[in-house]
Amino acid sequence: MPIAEIDLKVRKILSEKLNVGIDTITGDSRLAEDLGVDSFGAVELMFEIEEAFHLKIPDSDIEQVRSVKDIVAYLDGFMNKPPAATA
Amino acid sequence: MNKRRVVVTGLGVVACNGIGVQEFWDANVAGRSGITHIDAFDTSNLASKIGGQVKNFSPSAYMPEEIAKRVDRFVHFGLACADMALRQSGLEVGSEDTNRIGVIMGSGLGGLLFHEEQIVAAFDRGAHRVNPASVARISPNAVASHIAIRYGLKGPNLVISTACASGAHAIGEAFRKVQYGEVDMCFTGGVEAPFSEFNFAAYCALRVLSKNNAHPAAASRPFELARDGFVMSEGGAVLILEERDRALARGASILAEISGYAGNSGAHHMVMPDPDGADAARVMAAALKDAGLQRVDYINAHATSTRANDAAETKAIKAVFGDEARAIPVSSTKSMIGHAIGAAGAIEAVVCVKALQDQVIPPTINLDNPDPACDLDYVPHRSRPSTLEHVMSNSFGFGNCNVALIFSRYR
Repeated sequence: MPIAEIDLKVRKILSEKLNVGIDTITGDSRLAEDLGVDSFGAVELMFEIEEAFHLKIPDSDIEQVRSVKDIVAYLDGFMNKPPAATA
Repeated sequence: MNKRRVVVTGLGVVACNGIGVQEFWDANVAGRSGITHIDAFDTSNLASKIGGQVKNFSPSAYMPEEIAKRVDRFVHFGLACADMALRQSGLEVGSEDTNRIGVIMGSGLGGLLFHEEQIVAAFDRGAHRVNPASVARISPNAVASHIAIRYGLKGPNLVISTACASGAHAIGEAFRKVQYGEVDMCFTGGVEAPFSEFNFAAYCALRVLSKNNAHPAAASRPFELARDGFVMSEGGAVLILEERDRALARGASILAEISGYAGNSGAHHMVMPDPDGADAARVMAAALKDAGLQRVDYINAHATSTRANDAAETKAIKAVFGDEARAIPVSSTKSMIGHAIGAAGAIEAVVCVKALQDQVIPPTINLDNPDPACDLDYVPHRSRPSTLEHVMSNSFGFGNCNVALIFSRYR
């Protein structure tokens, strides 16, 4: 999936979930500080993203995500850049 | 301990025959049924196909969209009714001591709809696919918590679950807390959103629902010889109760007074009422004693339209009021809106307050040929103007949880 498509899909989920216009959500928007997502909201949000992208995000990875672009980059890495095979 | 007087200053209601107090009350006085064919799910495999669904209800008319999206239907009903009741009361929550405002609601079933959806998801897609919002959405106490969160009400916060008596129990317990000074005000009532396929099928399996699928509006017929069970419905009601002197001091309009309450158990059976109605008689007698009364001018009966309930309740009324029983009008709100389980007692409390205000008794519709075991004045078909000072509302839940409330005209 192209990164632009991931970005649009993530912002759509956020817009729907938080009831804010999609244009007000940018890559730099921080979940907690700018969008008011609390820790329970973050858990719900990750569930919606898992459903939309058909994947499972490990709990330890959720804690790394701070902004919209973090989510997009994470999903891009997860889907488009499979980890190098280990020896 | 000193008993304080407790008054009702706000009402909100959502029912299948009307949303908002005026529309609902007009429908009740006109004897209008809200029962239709169920379209919430496929009923083709079920014996009963009718119910009192609330149509044209838009949660976001009463609460912010972001809240409406996050809560289950029973909470929609609670928040909508609380919004209506608060507006009518004219109360400005911010100018009160919010530690002394409680919320006590009734719900028999809680967030059943989301619960069922998530159980299906867990089976279809695996338990790791259960929505993290499940715990908060399904919990029966979500309704009282959301009302408290919305308005910042920091007093006692409870949900009472006693099946079909839940709403009446909640009002009774809220009445006591205000009466004895634990709080000064309380948002109270009951809500139910029972139209999940599983839940409806479970009541079908119990063989308590009417199968009069050809005539939905005529299916709920309490006290009628041809009655064949109750009709399930959804909805809710909220009343704002206040200590009388405080209500007067802030210039509130007082709609009615609550003067008596009692609750008990038949300790008999999880589903069947005691056929003698002895427990129902005891609870009515206890509520009369609590109010310091010998009789009432009207009884809003529990009257579900099941064979067992209506006959037992009639026996109980005769046991309590003796020769006078036949002179006391008795009617059934459920004849028009069916049985809204944990919301029923609260919706019927709204009927009692409105009856006292307008001095009108709403009818028992669909009553053509009364069961010989049901031989009281059931106000058939048409509402009746009447002088009403004190009215009683009965609620009897599965498991023999009984409640009687007495409402009085405010003087």
